[in-house]
Amino acid sequence: MHIETTDVTRTYGAVTALDGLSLSVPSGSTFGLLGTNGAGKTTLFRLLIGHETPDSGTVRIGDTTVSTAGTEIRERVGYLPERAGFPAELTAREVLAVTARVRDLSDVDARVSSVLDTVGLAGDADRPVEGFSNGMGRRLGLATALLPDPDVLLLDEPTAGLDPLGVVAFHRIVEDVSERTDATVLVCSHALAEVERLCDRVAILNDGQLLAAGELSELTADTAGLEETFEAVVTGDGQSPAVTAERPDASDSGRLSDADGTQRPPDGAPADRAEGSP
Amino acid sequence: MTESQSEPQTDGGTTVTTTTVTDPESESATASGLRTRVALATRQVGSLAATEMRLGLRRRWAIILIGLFAAFGMLVLTFAGSAPGPAGFERTAASLAMLAVYVVPLAALAYGYDAVVGPAESGWLEVLSALPVTRTRILAGTTLGRGVVLVGGVALGFLIPGAILVSEYGTSTVPALATLLLAAAALGLAFLAVAVALSTLVREKTHALGVALLAWVWFVLVHDLLALGVVAAFDLSEGAVTALVLANPTSVYRVLVLGELGAGGTGGFASVLSAAGLSTRLLAVALAAWVVVPVVAAAALVRWRGTIAAT
Repeated sequence: MHIETTDVTRTYGAVTALDGLSLSVPSGSTFGLLGTNGAGKTTLFRLLIGHETPDSGTVRIGDTTVSTAGTEIRERVGYLPERAGFPAELTAREVLAVTARVRDLSDVDARVSSVLDTVGLAGDADRPVEGFSNGMGRRLGLATALLPDPDVLLLDEPTAGLDPLGVVAFHRIVEDVSERTDATVLVCSHALAEVERLCDRVAILNDGQLLAAGELSELTADTAGLEETFEAVVTGDGQSPAVTAERPDASDSGRLSDADGTQRPPDGAPADRAEGSP
Repeated sequence: MTESQSEPQTDGGTTVTTTTVTDPESESATASGLRTRVALATRQVGSLAATEMRLGLRRRWAIILIGLFAAFGMLVLTFAGSAPGPAGFERTAASLAMLAVYVVPLAALAYGYDAVVGPAESGWLEVLSALPVTRTRILAGTTLGRGVVLVGGVALGFLIPGAILVSEYGTSTVPALATLLLAAAALGLAFLAVAVALSTLVREKTHALGVALLAWVWFVLVHDLLALGVVAAFDLSEGAVTALVLANPTSVYRVLVLGELGAGGTGGFASVLSAAGLSTRLLAVALAAWVVVPVVAAAALVRWRGTIAAT
């Protein structure tokens, strides 16, 4: 399902969390959201699940405007928060059962067993969560997000704090889900390697503004990798071989300029309709 | 389909005629939609309450509450039975009622202080908030589940001393004991509601515990003494005295229960108020309000909390 934000601004007092953000996430893509702390990534996620409403602009998931959809928008969205946690005394199966019932899903037992299989927790389904490792906890969080077979899957710092094996296991699950379903996956992460591995498209935010967006292959075409691209875009370091970020205003957000200053759409889209621009 | 046309209205120089169309099918669909939403809300709140009850059992809260009330109840029976002065059912029941004034609010505050801040700290509230359910329903389910555990603990805990009293003084004491039990349960729910409301205000569990203890000190110890002093020092109107009673659920409980037991003279501030003429119905409504109002306030606060969490 397609996600589109159009000229979205959200402020908290004197802090502007999002500043005229226009972003387009194609249906079925696995989209990475990169940015420094305070760039506006989590605010964007909160807008997407209806916890916040924009001061101006619109956020749409498919044909639905999120701000007017109420809690129903979350029927189609699976969200793994960065700080997901569970009552220590419940088992994984009980956690999933209660979330399934609150979602008012049918065939609760079958669904719960299915997602436990998907995230590799079938063998630990009846253990209390207090005995779970960080990695198992994150996989349980992913399972709660996958329960409704979501059209949109939002993963906020999904592997933060996991050991390398936990990260690898988590990545395999997300890749598997991306391949098997039509879900649009939006991954917010500080781990550039994670985004490089999981995502086919990337957006880079800074200070609530979209600095760059496009296909990963294009963004990294003239650099040594996403790390170099990210640094060049965020710092505006013109020494980067191919990509120089310009802080765009609302009218050209998401566009990159080549080293010679020529404006070009970041994903090779036609110049009048680049992804990331309104 | 029926139509009704209202009087033309002028809106900024433009005359607007409003036509209201009443379609039985659309009315039926609206009613059906409302029933569906209510049924969904009931299922969601019920699921969350059942989970909270399960947690209450696994965290031993049910056992702790039953043991606490049973142990203190037996102590009261023992000491009331051996104390000098007039003995009998009224004295013992009044002692049990006074015990409840101290123990029930403390237990309710201790059980409820982390109702919101606990899940918020652990990340469970974030997981629940990602589901298609409002925070108000999450709060309602949490409060309902904890309320059932608390009321069950009060009922089962007072069952043992209550049974001893009935065996000693006969079945004619059952209505008075039932009143005491119901009022104690309502008092517990009132303080649970206060604890839930306080739990939405703070950001850490330790702060919540401190605020809950301060609430206990205020409502159970300080307010009663202050009210007694104010009544003694000033010539207050009946309305002001009534307001002083209703401003504290423990005062409401004292006046209600001790009045019902015919033991108004044993209750400190309550004895001052025995002549205030507060009806049982007013007191019961006031105690119910002390349950409902803090929960409604908590529902508003939890939405505010969701907003500040993003900043």
